[in-house]
Parts: sequence; structure tokens; C-alpha cells
Amino acid sequence: MASLSLRTSRHLATSTRTTAPWICQSCCQSRTFASSVSRNQQPPPPPSHQDPTQPPLPGTRQDDAPTHFGFSTIPSTLKASRVANVFSSVASSYDTMNDLMSLGIHRLWKDHFVRCLNPGIRPTGPAGLRSESTKEEGQRILDIAGGTGDIAQRMLDHATTVNKDMKTHVTISDINPEMLAEGRKRFAGSDYQLAGRVDFLEANAENLSTIPSNSIDLYTVAFGIRNFTHKDQALREAFRVLKPGGVFACLEFTPHLSNSVLDGLYKRWSFGAIPLIGQVVAGDRDSYQYLVESIERFPGQGEFRDMIKEAGFLVPGQEGGEGEKGGWEDLSLGIAAVHKGVKPV
Amino acid sequence: MSSTTALRTLLRTPASLRLLLLQTPRSTYHSYDHAEQPVYREAERTILSSALAHVPIHGFTQEALTLGAKDAGYLDISSNLFPKGTFDLVKYHLVSQRLGLKDRIQFPDENFGVGRKVRNLILERLRANVDTGIVTRWQEALAIMSLAENIPASLRELGALADEMWFLAGDTAVDASWYTKRASLSGIYAAAEIYQTTDQSTEYRDTEQFLDRRLEELRTVGGAVSGTLGWAGFQAGAMVNLLRSKGVMI
Amino acid sequence: MSLRTTHSILSGPSLPLKSRLTPLAFQLQSRNRNGTTRTLASATPTPQPDPQPASPPLQSLTNAQKKYLESALRVNHAGELAATLIYTSQIPPIVKAHPHLRPLMKHMYDQEAGHFKTFNHLLAKHRIRPTAMYPIWYAASTLLGWGTGVMGREAAMACTEAVETEIGDHYNSQVKELLRWDDEAKARGETLGEDLQALIKDVRRIRDEELDHLDHAVGEDAKMARPYEVLNGVIRAGCRGAIWVTERV
Repeated sequence: MASLSLRTSRHLATSTRTTAPWICQSCCQSRTFASSVSRNQQPPPPPSHQDPTQPPLPGTRQDDAPTHFGFSTIPSTLKASRVANVFSSVASSYDTMNDLMSLGIHRLWKDHFVRCLNPGIRPTGPAGLRSESTKEEGQRILDIAGGTGDIAQRMLDHATTVNKDMKTHVTISDINPEMLAEGRKRFAGSDYQLAGRVDFLEANAENLSTIPSNSIDLYTVAFGIRNFTHKDQALREAFRVLKPGGVFACLEFTPHLSNSVLDGLYKRWSFGAIPLIGQVVAGDRDSYQYLVESIERFPGQGEFRDMIKEAGFLVPGQEGGEGEKGGWEDLSLGIAAVHKGVKPV
Repeated sequence: MSSTTALRTLLRTPASLRLLLLQTPRSTYHSYDHAEQPVYREAERTILSSALAHVPIHGFTQEALTLGAKDAGYLDISSNLFPKGTFDLVKYHLVSQRLGLKDRIQFPDENFGVGRKVRNLILERLRANVDTGIVTRWQEALAIMSLAENIPASLRELGALADEMWFLAGDTAVDASWYTKRASLSGIYAAAEIYQTTDQSTEYRDTEQFLDRRLEELRTVGGAVSGTLGWAGFQAGAMVNLLRSKGVMI
Repeated sequence: MSLRTTHSILSGPSLPLKSRLTPLAFQLQSRNRNGTTRTLASATPTPQPDPQPASPPLQSLTNAQKKYLESALRVNHAGELAATLIYTSQIPPIVKAHPHLRPLMKHMYDQEAGHFKTFNHLLAKHRIRPTAMYPIWYAASTLLGWGTGVMGREAAMACTEAVETEIGDHYNSQVKELLRWDDEAKARGETLGEDLQALIKDVRRIRDEELDHLDHAVGEDAKMARPYEVLNGVIRAGCRGAIWVTERV
């Protein structure tokens, strides 16, 4: 689940060797952490999928620009490693942590998230209108920051039991090997594993270069995107890998509840109790403090919707020229929200 | 009966929503110099209009929506563009037929009264349900519209249709009757549309007769009300003048 | 119902639906100008060419601007309804007591009736709903006009003064807002369009006429009314309250 814009230092050694010639070698050396370097391992995505306003070479951007880590401000290059440490330390108790953060209802949110996305291709209608070939393929789902595999599990269950689709395939991607290990454990020996309907990918969501463009039906990221260093870059990458008509879907905590009184109460809970519980239960106060603060620093629903639009997506629920309102779904009074985007044909 | 239908509709509506029945159908200034923004974006329009073509066979279902997306060159999953799912499909029919009404209707006789024009407009709008082939499936749509979360939007759309009809009929009154006109037309149209879904007669003649009875009732009741009010006003004026003539300083 | 097989709006997805979904502004405009109902002969409208391609491009109205116009015009309409009714019910007692005021009262009434007609037309044209408080404003303004009329010449004039002060302020703020739009549009090299230019002219003229009424009222000893402060304060507060309510419903 924790997708982190980082590679551990063992990747650094290989990456510097393969750095593309157009990167100033000394610049790379000067970066202690590899989030940018790992991007340089691969040539940049084809320019046709890039926003013209974006710097053509991601590796050359100012990665030392300050970013936030919880409430502290740190250089961008550091964020990924700090986030990695958080998730490495909480990987085994991740579900417990989500229960605490969401007052225990993240399971319901995830169920709702998957149900409203309705993955899987329904069986051919009585009139035989659907061509058999599409049925054969199933959908390709990419679950970013899906380390522990709980979204993937729900996707596959929904596709199989609701839509009777035995082909749909999920790729679970996470930057953090410890989190992915949790997912591998979950699927070990399962039917899905045996049928080859699930695989694992250790990758940075800001650079999914091993995934071809226009190849994914559904891109999901649940409770992960707030940890990304460059959310805009990750959104552009999502746009690239999705097929035309493909769907980007994101489930994430929101910084502010819709009701200000409840917001105050919830803040009391999250800032007061959660780090304390973290300390008592997991003996790790700082990681839990980060998680609470990272929610606070995540853009509000309207702002994040505009970022999705910026990346080129059509945002649902905005008919009637209502550019300034709507476009997401609040869950449980707005503790969390579902954002979607459809890649236009 | 139309008034009782309207009353029943009103009473069945949750209290918090009753005001919506009278709510402004068009909330904003209608400009002639500036083109109106299209209600639907291109992608939404193509998917929904192709999906409606599947409604006669598949009904107002997710299936129709998905098939529409496929027809428009999108994927199965693209139906996520419509957060309200099948209700978005229903609403698209309502909106596009409301906006298309002005292109469907023509008044051969310039001397048509407003009442006659309204009758023609209602019939033309009902005919649109038949022409698009969705009339056999319209009960499903009514069921979807009556779900609690869809009621406000459905009523707003019904009000907008009534407003459009009065506008196209050339009614320009902007006094208190503005509200009663739209409320009664909404009631009559809704009743006629429900009647249409169960009408087995040739060319929906029963619906036409049903509509005529409702309009006749409205004329009788409305005439009686305005007659009574007019009489009361006349009597009050006469009383004031009588008193003035007696030297009372009013 | 005889089923005409008219061209179905949705059966032909290949047809340009967009043109059907956007109102045919110019068709409607011409209809409105002629004051007659047009005949729509074609089921598939052909996009109407702009009759006079104006040199500066039209500024598009934002939703906020439309909302503003809607509530402003509704308030103006309700205000002129009230003004007409106030004079209607003031005139009989006042003219009876002071026959020399007949021409002045008639002049003021005629102007208000003209304003009311203007806004009646604008509301119908731009499809703005009238205020839902219509019957209440109707009763309240009749009562106000009659009450101050019976109280005498000075009270009636104080009423006119108070009402016209508030109305004048209200129109002034509208003119200011519309001129600001005009300036912004000009700065972008665009134009507000004929309708809005005409609206600015109308509102300005009406404001000037209302302020004339204010001068007449003061000239006719409005300030001599007893109790002047109370009358003035109450009526002005009432006007502001009514404007506030009417902007919303």
C-alpha cells in the first residue's frame, strides 16, 4: 500500500552505472537518495504522452526542491526514504494502523470503492452483442501502492463472483519490498495465484516504465498517493499507462471533513490519540505521527480534482458546466474521498 | 384528479424536499448574446446517447450503459464516468428531450392559444418517449427516479420541463401565477407520463384523452379560483369606493 | 395521440446533437423581437450564422455573473411592483386632500409603471422567475402606500423619500457592478453584448428617474413628516430586508 518514491540504496549502485548520457553525472552523484536516479534508469516515456508544459526529462527537474514530510519541510530527495522507513516499520501491522486511522471503517470504504468501480467484464448478453474476443481478454488492473494486496483481493473477488469474469488480471505495484512481501504472503497458494491472475511489481509510481503505454483498463491507488513526492508526475504516468477510456481511481484520506465541528473532533482524535496508540501498540510514535500529518498536508478534494484534470483526465460528475464543484465522492462525512478520472478517447 | 395526483405527489415527497417542487427550474439568467454552455461534455454525450439505443432491449440498466460505452469506443470500465449510473442515463433522456422539444414542435397556426400550445407541447414530449423507443422501459426509469437520492434532481428536471413548455408556448407572465402554472403543468405532465407507460391503446389515444381530461379539470378549477379571487377583489374595491364616497378618509 | 414519425432526436447518434442541445439563441432572439411565436419548421436545426459578426468578441458570462443578473433583475422587478402599488394606493387619499399634487403623483406613477413594464419584459425574456414573495410584497406595499397616504402629504412624501433612497442605492450598486464588467471586458478586448449594454442604459435611466422622485418628495416637505425619523428608519429597514429576501427567493 505504501508506494514510496524511493529506491533503497542497493538500487543506487546499479542505477548510477546505467545513467543515461544526458544526465550530468556529478548531479546524480550529489544526490544521496535515489528517487530521481531510479527514474534515470529508464529512458523517459515517449514525449507524445507528456504534457508539453512539463520538463521533458524528469531526471533533470529540480528534485532538491523542498517538499513536506508530515509537517516538516525536507528536500524532495529525502522524502522518499523517510516515507520508506515509515512503511518498512509498519508493514506487518499495516491493517491495524488503517483501522486506527479510519476509526475502523477503511474496510467498508475499500468494499465500496471496489463495488462502485465494478471491475471485471460481465458475461455476454442474451443477444450476443458482446464480441467474444474482448471477453477472452478480461481487464488489466494496476493497483498502485497496493503492497498488502487487500484492494487486489477485493477486485479479483468482485470480478469473479459478481461479474463471472475469470480472466481479469491485477498487477500489484509497490515501491516498498516489505509491503509487497505482505501481499505475496496473502496470495501464496490462492486460486488467483495459481490461475496467474495476479502478479507483483516493485516500482515507483512516478516512473512505471516497465508498463507499456495504453495497456491498463483500471488504475487504482488506495491510501497511497499522499505519500508520493511528485503527485502530478504520478498522475501523468497513470494517464500514460491507461488505455483510452481507462479509469484512474483513488481512495484517500482528506485533510478536512465537510462539517467543521466534526472536523475539530476528528482532528482531536487523529492528532491526540493515534500517535499515542502507535507508541503503545507498535512502540513507534514517529511513524504514526507522520501518517497523521501526511493526511493534513494532502490537497483538499477540490484541489486534487483539479490536479487530476490537469493530467488530462475527464472527471466524472461535472456535467452542466459546473467546473468549480463536484467531481468526487466523500465517504463517511468526508474523512476519506474517492476521486476518479477517465482518460478520453 | 390531476390536483389530487399533484397533491399525492406532494404529500409522498419527504418534507425537506417539498420546497423543491416549487424550486426554480432555471436558476440563472438566460442570455441571447452568449451561447449556453452545453450540458454534457462530448464524451458523456456520445456514451449516453449510444447507451440509450440499447435501452429498448436492455432497459435502463448498467448493461445498457456499458454497451453504450463500448459502442462509443470506450471500455467497459469507462461507465465510471457516470457517478449515478443508471440515473445519469435516465437524466440524459430527460435533458436531451427537454432541450430538443423546441426543435420537435411547430405551431402551424399563429393564432393558437397558449393553452392549445401547451397541450401540443405535452403531446410532443410524450411522443418523444415513443419515438426513442424507451416508452416500454419507462417504468424502470420512473422507479429509478423515485429513489430517495434521485428525487431532488428528478423534480428539478420536471420543473425545468414545465418551464420550457410555458416558455415555448409564449407565456410571458411574471407574477405569482408563474409558480402555480409550473406546478400544475408539472403535475399534469407527470400524471400523463405515468398513464402513458400503461397505455395499450393504438397510437396512445387513451393517453391523449387522459391528458385532455386533466387539462379540462385545470381549466375548470383554475377558472373558478381566479374567478373567485377576481370577484373578491372587485367587491373590496367597490367597498373602498363606497366608503370614500361617504367621506371616510381612506 | 397520432404517432407522427418525426425525426427522433436520439435515434440518429451520427447527427450533431450539440447544436440541438444548445438553445438557438438567435432564433429565440428574433422571436422575442418580433413578439410573435416563430415557427420551427426543421427538426434538425442548422446552426444559424451570426447575423452581424461583431468586431470585438463577446465576453462569455460566468455562472457567478448569471447568478448576479438573475437576482438583481428579480429584485428590480419586485421593487418596481412595490413602487407601482405604493403610488396606486397613495394617490386616492392624497389627491383628494391635495388636488394640486395630482399631476406630480400621476407623473411619478406613470414612470414607475413604465419601469415595471421594462422589468416584466426583461424577466420573461431572460427566463428569470419572479420572486416567490410576490403576493406578500403585493399586500405589504399596498398597505404601506395606503397607510402613508392616509397619514397625509408629508408622510406620503417621507415614504417616497425613504423608498427611493434605498432603491437609488440599489440601482447605483448595480450600475457600478455592470460598468465594472464592461471595463473588464473592454480590457480583454471583448464586449458585453447588446443585451447587457442596453441593460446598463435602462438601469441608469431608471435610477435617475427614481432619484428625481426623491427630489420631488423632499421638495414637497417630506422632512416635515411627524415622526420623520421613525417613518424613514422603518421604511428604509423594510426595503433593505425585502431586497435581501428577494435576492434569495
